[in-house]
Formats: sequence, structure tokens, C-alpha cells
Amino acid sequence: MTSQTSYKPKLLWLQSITCNGNTHSFLNHPDLASILSHFELVYHPVLETPFDIEEMARGELECDILILEGSFREEGFTRGRVEVSKILEAYAKKAKHIISAGTCATFGGIFKEYDPENISGFCFNVEERTERYEMYASKLISLPGCPIHPKWLSYVLLMMLKDKHIPIDELHRPQELYGITVHTGCARNEYFEWKIDTKGFGLKEGCLFYEQGCQGPYTRGSCNKILWNDTSSKTIVGTPCFGCTEPSFPKTALFSTKTNMGIPATMPLGVPRRAYLTATGIAKSFKIKRLEERIITYDS
Amino acid sequence: MIVRELIEKIEGEAELDFTFNEGKIEDVRISFAFYRGIEEILVGKDARDALVITPRVCGICNHAHLIAAVKTIENGYENAGLKVELSNKAKAIREFTLSCELMQNHMTWFYMTILPQLEKLLGEASGENHALKASYFSSTITKAMSIFAGQWPHSSYAVPGGVTCDPTYVDVMQAENLVDESIRFYEEMVIGMPIDKYLEIDSNAFLYDLDGDLARVLQLIGMNEMADIGQSHDRFIAFGDSTLFKAGKSMKTRVYSVDANYVEESVQQGTVAKAVTYKHKLYEVGPLARAMVSKEPMVKRLHKCYKDSILTRVFARVHEVALLLSHSKELLQNLRLDEPSCSLGKELIVPDFEGVGAVEAARGSLIHKTTVKEGLIENYEIIVPTQWNLSHGDDRENGIAIEAMVGSSSTEEATFIFRTFDVCSVCTAQ
Amino acid sequence: MKITEKKALKRESIIQTALQLFSLKGFHKTTIPDIAEKLQMSVGNLYNYFSSKDILAKEIIKYTSEVLGNEIKTVNMLDVSSEEKIKKIVELYFRMAEENPERIEYFLRVYLANREVFHDGCEGMTCVSGFVTEIMIFFDDGVSSGELRDQDFFSAFGLFMGYLGGMVFLNGEEMLTKDIGEYTDDISRNIYAALKA
Repeated sequence: MTSQTSYKPKLLWLQSITCNGNTHSFLNHPDLASILSHFELVYHPVLETPFDIEEMARGELECDILILEGSFREEGFTRGRVEVSKILEAYAKKAKHIISAGTCATFGGIFKEYDPENISGFCFNVEERTERYEMYASKLISLPGCPIHPKWLSYVLLMMLKDKHIPIDELHRPQELYGITVHTGCARNEYFEWKIDTKGFGLKEGCLFYEQGCQGPYTRGSCNKILWNDTSSKTIVGTPCFGCTEPSFPKTALFSTKTNMGIPATMPLGVPRRAYLTATGIAKSFKIKRLEERIITYDS
Repeated sequence: MIVRELIEKIEGEAELDFTFNEGKIEDVRISFAFYRGIEEILVGKDARDALVITPRVCGICNHAHLIAAVKTIENGYENAGLKVELSNKAKAIREFTLSCELMQNHMTWFYMTILPQLEKLLGEASGENHALKASYFSSTITKAMSIFAGQWPHSSYAVPGGVTCDPTYVDVMQAENLVDESIRFYEEMVIGMPIDKYLEIDSNAFLYDLDGDLARVLQLIGMNEMADIGQSHDRFIAFGDSTLFKAGKSMKTRVYSVDANYVEESVQQGTVAKAVTYKHKLYEVGPLARAMVSKEPMVKRLHKCYKDSILTRVFARVHEVALLLSHSKELLQNLRLDEPSCSLGKELIVPDFEGVGAVEAARGSLIHKTTVKEGLIENYEIIVPTQWNLSHGDDRENGIAIEAMVGSSSTEEATFIFRTFDVCSVCTAQ
Repeated sequence: MKITEKKALKRESIIQTALQLFSLKGFHKTTIPDIAEKLQMSVGNLYNYFSSKDILAKEIIKYTSEVLGNEIKTVNMLDVSSEEKIKKIVELYFRMAEENPERIEYFLRVYLANREVFHDGCEGMTCVSGFVTEIMIFFDDGVSSGELRDQDFFSAFGLFMGYLGGMVFLNGEEMLTKDIGEYTDDISRNIYAALKA
């Protein structure tokens, strides 16, 4: 059953200071055709639309759902020859829903670092609310991530299409996506449980939290539950999580774990330090032979 | 008379000022207005953070930046006296994932930009939703890539000494299957014939017997007398070495070696994009350049007739996908899983170094340079392919893309010529 | 008083009595009947609380670790410098050595010296985690505030605890020329000098 007779919400994708990563991630959605069939694309930076960028920049197009990508400055950045802040004003007022797609649009992200005083996210400047928060919070869904996973965006769009309420947290992130940590479902969980570090890179055995800088246990996100490209994730292939959905992204020295005398400086989300250290101390006291060994041996 | 146009859908925008004289374009000024400052953002960071930050220069060619960054660090280590040996497995995996991105980029350009724009220019709308074809190919090939790299966009799975992944044959078989599916798509949609038969074509005449969307584009260009437009200085360069691409420069079809130390960047008036030259000369980079440097027969045959026109340029980019598909299969088939994935430990081994890394990204040579002191980045430079093609030139000669556009009689046609270079605004403006 | 509270007190008194007897007669020479007799309870009843001497031995080390750990935790929760905290930890450790010598003695002379009793059920840090966790927290706070140097945990731990344990051992052998409490200032200063950033 198609939505030929039901109303197709008008989608407008507005880019600010961005690398286009969220755009390309979304275009990679395996069900792109069917998702887009429910909407009328008013303007998009890559896909063909009835209006070009200068028409869009006048701020006069209809818009039900505004998707924002990239971080913002009040002046000094234009799209279609108009200051983005002006275009933003026009569409944010009209839109029924606003989605900040990506960490830059939500919190400021990487590009904020170039001019921290003047560049921020849409409604949040790192974790602080900006002036725009008061005006637009009621319509806002935050989808931080660098980039976003296409299915996070399609989830939000389809919920909006069907007028369903999206449970969100205090930073307006959908709880279904950000209520768990990247650690949930990681293929290396057993090694985390028994505190077996992976000793370098390039092995499927071992946990990346103790020394390789993995921020999975305290980063809100669903990367090990809704797999990347329907197939994989950073930690599955032995790359540490860099915490890209969090307001603090990017931190520094991303490939090594900050420790104080060997104790991780940041604890898993919500786990008190004493609880973690006690459990760790006990787990470390036992040597689980199976977990110390390589799983597969290939004959040369 | 100067006509100013804002060009969009080039991974961002650019302002083009066309100077007309007696109905023909005699000069073009290209300007990019906004600089995001990644090079400055990198200063003071841990050297390996470049593996995370530099991909964020660009949402579509981020993997190329990752490989360039890791090669830069490895080159730095070597300059400081540490021997860095990558296993064949690690090298092959890196080549494979980078090839996947090149293919994704080319097909996205072909179906989301070139085909729709050409149809619009010539009023030959086909009514097909070409974008969805690109999306299908893209999601398939990036799946294969993510088996090793974890995700696309924005993987950081290449680290000094190798890669972080430790694949199994389950992984490799799955990747091979996805490459086969991508080949099937290419055969059905793009060339309309089996890829083996396609790669054996030994005469230009047979190109016009192709079926599929490549044939459509070649025919549209040919039938509308556009086969010779967009010619430039016929001078090509490539710096990235791999088992498929060779580094070198090609001038009047003769090939010479190159040394990245002779690459120079310079500031240009009225734009944040810097110009790039090699020994003070301008060169084209990209698939056509790679084909000319490695003397790829099918491209050279076309080049013989049409020089570096849009026909040759467009063909070279789509043709490169065929080469990459077939090469990727080989890389996977020859993968030795018992070799180590990463030969270096987890610490940043050398605290002070200077390094340079070059790779062939989709749009051409990508070069990173860095100076690291006490483990922290003191300086980082990124030279992107689009900078080469869009350099303004000087009194002696026009820039590559500008020369290609000069002589055109409409901004629409000139804009199309511009797009055949697969311009990337975010990379250029960093 | 609830039954569980009574049981907990009884358990504690068994542990205290065992500690004293181990200190007086030695670990191997003290038997379960000895302990039961001192407490005026039946051996059968004692076995209800601890089903073997080995299990009692392990429970004692857990108990003394908890007690010591809780005292260190109180110091950790204070809003004072690491230098101050070192002094307070040294103080409480030496105070315990003076007021309840059997506890630290048990650790030095029974736990460390009879590994075969503890290797199964008290692997690694399992039974001393109450105390080790608090030392970890002390170090973590010190390094993150910048007062202590970041170094390998065991280097720092060995320095701190080995030093204190050594002093208590010498005290137990009656080799120190002063009361152990009088060494507090010097020891604290030495430890701080070695650990500070």
C-alpha cells in the first residue's frame, strides 16, 4: 500500500559548516527509495529537487521537516549567497520538526574547534543551550554522530511521518538510539568482562577499552546494535570508539586510554568507580585460558 | 561581459565568473568562499588523531584522507630511522578498501551528477531515477568495505604498521560476494555486457556498441557534437602508488617519474583555494591522469582521437570502475589471513618526525604533509586533487579546468565541462 | 535486635577471637575447637558460621580488608590534598598496628606466608579488594588532580604498602626504637616525596 493519497511531508535539507558526511551516509541507506517515497524533497544538496540553492536560500519554500547538517555561526557563512543564520531563521520557524543531523549540527563538533567563540551547534553549544533552544526546543530532535547512521535518520523521519511521539533525553536525543552505549553488543564483550586487553592493534581477541582508547563503554549510541552499513562497526574491526556522538567529541589522544596509574580516567557510563574497581580487581585475579588464546589458527 | 554563476552540487558550492568575449568564454575565475580550518584544528593534537580528524575534511572521500594520513605518519617514522614493514595482507586490505571508495565516488558522480546534468543540458530527460542506482551500488560496495574498515563514511581503521581488523574467511567470502554483486550491477546497468568482454575491447568502434548508461552518455555527448569540447593542456600527473596505479607524469603521452618534494602550494586572490603546481607547472589529476600515466589502453585509444576532452575524461572515470572491480576481486582472492594485520605496537613510537603521504583518491592525487614534535602535530598540510584541477594558472597559461571551459559558448555547457572534473568543494576549502 | 544483626555480630566476634588466637599461638597451631572454646560456643555451632578453618581464614582476610578499606575510604572522601591524605592513611595504618595489631599481623604473617591456604577462593586481589580499591581511588584522585605522578600502579602500590607493611613488621619484632606512631611524619614525607608529580 503506497502513500499516494496521503500527505507527503516536505523535507528540506540545509547544510551549514559541514563535510557532507551525514548527507552521504544517508544516501547510503539500503531502503533509500522507499523512505523517500513518503516525502516530498523540497531541497537537497545532492539529489535533484524542484528548487535550486538560490531559490531555497530565499527562505520562501514550504517546509515541514527541516534537516540541519553542519555547525553554525551567526555571520560569515553563506549558502546560495545568503547567510545560513538567516535561512535557518526562516525555515526553523515554518518547520513542524527540526532534526540536527550529526554532531556538528547538534553540539558544534569538529568544526567548532576552528573558532570556538563563534561556532556552535544549532540548539546546543557543546552541552549548553544556545538562544535558539528556547525558540525551537519543542520541535527539535538531536541526532549526534560523526556521521549519523542512515537508519537513525530514517527512524526519526518515519516516526514523524506517522505522528508518533519520539521519547528523547535532556539533549533531545531519541532514547531508542542513544539510551544504550556503543559497548552494548560489541563483539569483544567477553574480553571486557574479564579485563583482557588486546595488546596492540590488529587482533580480533581482546578489549580496546583498557589501553587503545575505546570510549564505547561511556558513549551513548547504538553502533553495535544497528550495525554500520548493515554489516560492521568500529570495534568489530578493532578500531576504538572515538565517542563521536557525545558533546565532547573530539577529545584528544584518541587511540590511547587516559589512565591514572593504570586506572581508566573515565568509567563506563553510570558505573561508580568503586564498583568498577572492585569488579575489575576480582576479574583480573582470574586467568581464563580460553580468552587468553587466539581463536583461529591458520596453517601457513 | 562577466557572468557570475553559483554552482552547487559539487560537494558544496563555488562561484564561477565567466568572462565572455564575442559570445565565447575567454576566462573563468573560480572562487570558494569558506575555509573550515582543518589544518589549524590539527595543530597541537596527538599525531594519530590525524587519522580521525582528516577524514572529516570530506564526507565522500574520507577514506582517501585516512590512507594518506597513515602513510604520512609511516613515512615520518621511516624518515626518523624506524623501519615500517607492512604485511602483504595489510597492504592488500588497505588497497581494497580504498578501491571501494573510489568506485563509490565515481558511480555516485556518474549517476547523481553527470547523467542527470547531461540530460538536463541536452533536454533529454530519460525519466529514470538515476540517483537510486548510485545509492544501490554505493550501499553494496561500502558494505564490502566496512567488513574490513568498520564503516563508511569515516573509518579510522588504518593505523601505523597496518590495519586494526583481523578478518576471517567468513569476512573475505562475504566481501567477494558483494564485489561480485557490484560487478553484476556494473555489467547490467553501466556497460550492458560482461566485464571480461568489456575489458578486452580493442577498438574505439566497439565502444559505440555498448549498451547501458555509459553508452547513453557517450552517445549523448557524441551525437550533440560535444566529443571534442573541454580539452585542456593534456598534461597529467599522479603521485599515489599502489598495485593498480603508478606514480608519474604524462606530457604529450610520454611518461616520466615524479618526486612529491617538487609539489608547491600557493595562495590565490579572491578564493580560499590554494593553487598547486609541480615544478611550477599545472597538471590534471584524476582517473584520466592515472590512465595516461599507466598507459591504460582503452583510455589511450580514445585519447588518440579526442585528446583530453570531456568524452575521454568522462569515459576514463567510468572505465576506472571496471578496472577497480576486477582488481578488487584479485586482491581478495590473494589475501593471506595468516599474516599479521599490524606490525607496530600501540604507542606512538617516534615523537619527532616529518612525513609526506600520497594516495590516489577518486578525484586524483591527495597529499598530506606533517611535522610532529614530542608526539604532537606542529604543522599539517593537505593538498587535494581538486586544487590541482582548479588552480587559476597565470599569465603564461590558464588553469586546467579553466582552459577546458575557455572557448565554450554558454555557461550551461561550461558548467557541465566543469563537472566532468568531479569537483569537490569541501576538500578544496578544507 | 534482629536475628541477622545478632548473627553478624557473632560472626565478627568469631573473627576477632580467631585473630587474637592466631596472633598468640600461631595460625597452624590454632584449631577450630580452640576458637570455639574461647567463645564458649559449640564447635558444631561455629561450623554453622564457617564450615572450615580455610574458609574462616579467607573470610578473615576479606573482613580485615573491608575494615581497613572503610577507614581509607573515609580519608578518600575528605576534601584535602593528596599529601594530607597520605599522612592520614599512614596514621590510621599505624594506629591499627598499635590498637589492633593482630589484624595487620594476620595479613603479614598468615595471608602472605601461607599462599597454599588462600590460592583457591582468594585468587589475586579477590579477597583484599575492599582495601586495594580504596588505594586505587586514592591514586586515581591524586593523579587526576595533578598532585601525584602518573606511573605504573604496582610501582606506586608496592612503594606505599610495602613501606607501611615493612614498618609494621619491624614493630612486631620489637626492633623499632620509638613507638610506631612517632614515625608517621617521616614516613608520610618520604612517601609523598616518592609519589608526587
